[in-house]
Amino acid sequence: MSPTNGAGANRSAKILVKDLNFFYGDSLALKSVNMSVYANSVTAIIGPSGCGKSTLLRVLNRMYDLYPKQRAVGEVLLDGDNILAPSQDVNLLRARVGMVFQKPTPFPMSIHENIAFGIKLYNKVSKSELDGRVEKALRGAALWNEVKDKLHASGLSLSGGQQQRLCIARTVAIEPEVILFDEPCSALDPISTAKVEELIDELKEKYTIAIVTHSMQQAARVSSYTAFMYLGELLEFDETTKMFTSPDKKQTQDYITGRFG
Amino acid sequence: MTLYDTRRRKNAIYVSLCYAASVFGLVWLAWILCALIFKGSAGLMPATFTQMTPPPGSAGGLLNAICGSLIMSIAAVALGTPIGILAGTYLAEYGSGSKLAFVVRFINDILLSAPSIVIGLFVYQIVVVPMGHFSALAGMLALAIIVIPVVVRTTEDMLRLVPNQLREASTALGLPKSMVIQRIAYKAARAGLTTGVLLAIARISGETAPLLFTALNNQFFETNVNAPMASLPVVIFQFALSPYADWQRLAWTGALIITMTVLALSITARVLGRQRIKS
Amino acid sequence: MSEHIVTAYDAELDLLGRKIAEMGGIAEKMLSDAMDALVDFDADLARQTVAADPRLDHLQREIEQSAIQTIARRQPMAVDLRDIIAAIRISADLERIGDLAKNIAKRAIVVAAEARLPRAIIGLKSMHENAALSLKDVLDAYAQRDVERARAVWLRDAELDALEDSVFRDLLTFMMEDPRNISFCTHLLFCSKNIERIGDHATNIAETVYYLVTGEELPVERPKGRSYSFEQTQPPT
Repeated sequence: MSPTNGAGANRSAKILVKDLNFFYGDSLALKSVNMSVYANSVTAIIGPSGCGKSTLLRVLNRMYDLYPKQRAVGEVLLDGDNILAPSQDVNLLRARVGMVFQKPTPFPMSIHENIAFGIKLYNKVSKSELDGRVEKALRGAALWNEVKDKLHASGLSLSGGQQQRLCIARTVAIEPEVILFDEPCSALDPISTAKVEELIDELKEKYTIAIVTHSMQQAARVSSYTAFMYLGELLEFDETTKMFTSPDKKQTQDYITGRFG
Repeated sequence: MTLYDTRRRKNAIYVSLCYAASVFGLVWLAWILCALIFKGSAGLMPATFTQMTPPPGSAGGLLNAICGSLIMSIAAVALGTPIGILAGTYLAEYGSGSKLAFVVRFINDILLSAPSIVIGLFVYQIVVVPMGHFSALAGMLALAIIVIPVVVRTTEDMLRLVPNQLREASTALGLPKSMVIQRIAYKAARAGLTTGVLLAIARISGETAPLLFTALNNQFFETNVNAPMASLPVVIFQFALSPYADWQRLAWTGALIITMTVLALSITARVLGRQRIKS
Repeated sequence: MSEHIVTAYDAELDLLGRKIAEMGGIAEKMLSDAMDALVDFDADLARQTVAADPRLDHLQREIEQSAIQTIARRQPMAVDLRDIIAAIRISADLERIGDLAKNIAKRAIVVAAEARLPRAIIGLKSMHENAALSLKDVLDAYAQRDVERARAVWLRDAELDALEDSVFRDLLTFMMEDPRNISFCTHLLFCSKNIERIGDHATNIAETVYYLVTGEELPVERPKGRSYSFEQTQPPT
């Protein structure tokens, strides 16, 4: 689905989802979903629980591959290449399409190692270059000033909001092209949430971002485009300002106004 | 009497029963410990750690038994731990839902609760009988077979406790599964895995039955694994049943040494386990 | 005021404030141009003034739209909420001020065609000075979030009412002197009414500024400056 009013036509689609069906075992979780994720913008996916929004997100980096009974049928084009093709190297795909999760998931190691870990996976770097990139990633996640004096403390010693930004820094450190956020703020307090949202706003300059969120207010705040999903279908996809002021579909309106029946 | 009073009275009765039961259990434990310390500490002198087990009526120590126990335990752990961890990893990370994993887990559970004398008998049949003589090697093997199920169990349990989000998060960085397990899951479960190994050591350090059939005993200091080797539990078994007062005293001392070692291991395991929960 | 964690939010609010300032500038210019055109019988300037109005309407639309979007996207609270509501209200007042100035300019074109009795306009000039001062003050009060200044504008409106009262009587006299003045003076009468209305809108803005800064409303009743009552001058309806 393209934005209905034709807006966004001038932007290039980084990811193009075509006729995507998704199965958990035998049950159909996504029903021929078509949508675009535009380059250098934030696309939010909203909808009630179980509507398939997280499922859609987890197709974009093939996270579902971890679970044998899940499969996706259709096409997901990343820069024109079908990432659902069996020939796609999933590990390289995940290096290009990073993901930040609902719960902060720092690795059981120091703050420095949490970031360095990913960098060392893909690059042979000297110690000083590594330190430089760790600092850059932490600055990129607006965390540097808070942790620069305790880089060798455990990542688990940080507060929830800091842990989440550490995870973002870790994702940014390996320089992906797309970052997927799966309800990144649902475990955070409002101030930490605002910090993460500000970060997302800054990250869209360099990255293409897709975010799944339970909070439509958050979708309204951070995104340029919003997709509304219901029962595995993509019901409406449009510019966020349009979606939240005058959506086309009645279901969308009912959902975002809290009239869902 | 109001309903509330009845409830309070019942509560008081149950609480006192619980306390009584705990005290009952603890009394025996304390008694054993006291007896051990009382009778065992008499033989606790430098000579115990420097001299060999004596013939009846002469002075001696437990050096050969202590060393034998150490050698065989370490070898058994060195042999059993990698196998146990790999098998546990298979069960937790790769085998979920597969029939093979189900069977492996079931057999492992049986092995875990199998009487150790059965294991001793088994090793006797397949190692001692073909070789024609008792050997430390057979003892190590028997102990290793006891170590494996303990380590498999704890490894699987500890890996299952590693939050799935952590696996997904490292997968999302582009790590292949083998690296997710090695670099992330093991690291997150490290304290738990160590606990498992310590518990396995504690378990085998008191085993007598499997050693009776395999390593048997040796009056002398022995490092050749192809020969019979002394071990604390077997020496205790033999000396305690003897009519000689010297031997009996040494048996008590050996028992004290084993108990203290196991206690120390258990406490270490507890401390490590608590750290894991905190993190 | 300290900044938001989300910087884009600040940018949106800043933009709203800047657009209000731009509207204020245009409205002030339109009012003074319309009055100059009226006083100098300058039809060209009057036409230019009329032509400036669409820009004001356009800005008002923009402010309204971005205010709605900001409400929808940022869920503003407390001072932010008042800020946005104030922007909507003030932009509506400024747009009306522009309309009234445009009306004066249109009448200036007609009046310029049969320029007579310049002394009848003098009263209007002092009304205009008063209203222009109020408008300038209230815009400054908005820009600086200055409650006292807003309150002063609010109180000052009584003077303008009194001035309108005397202009009304003057024009009535001119019309009675010579019936040929009636058309000319009626236009002036409407202009005086327009200026008085502009003063009312400035007062509205003052009330909005007061609310924006304090979170409280000024009292509904305002000191009145009229010496006549409508019962005397208006035909019974």
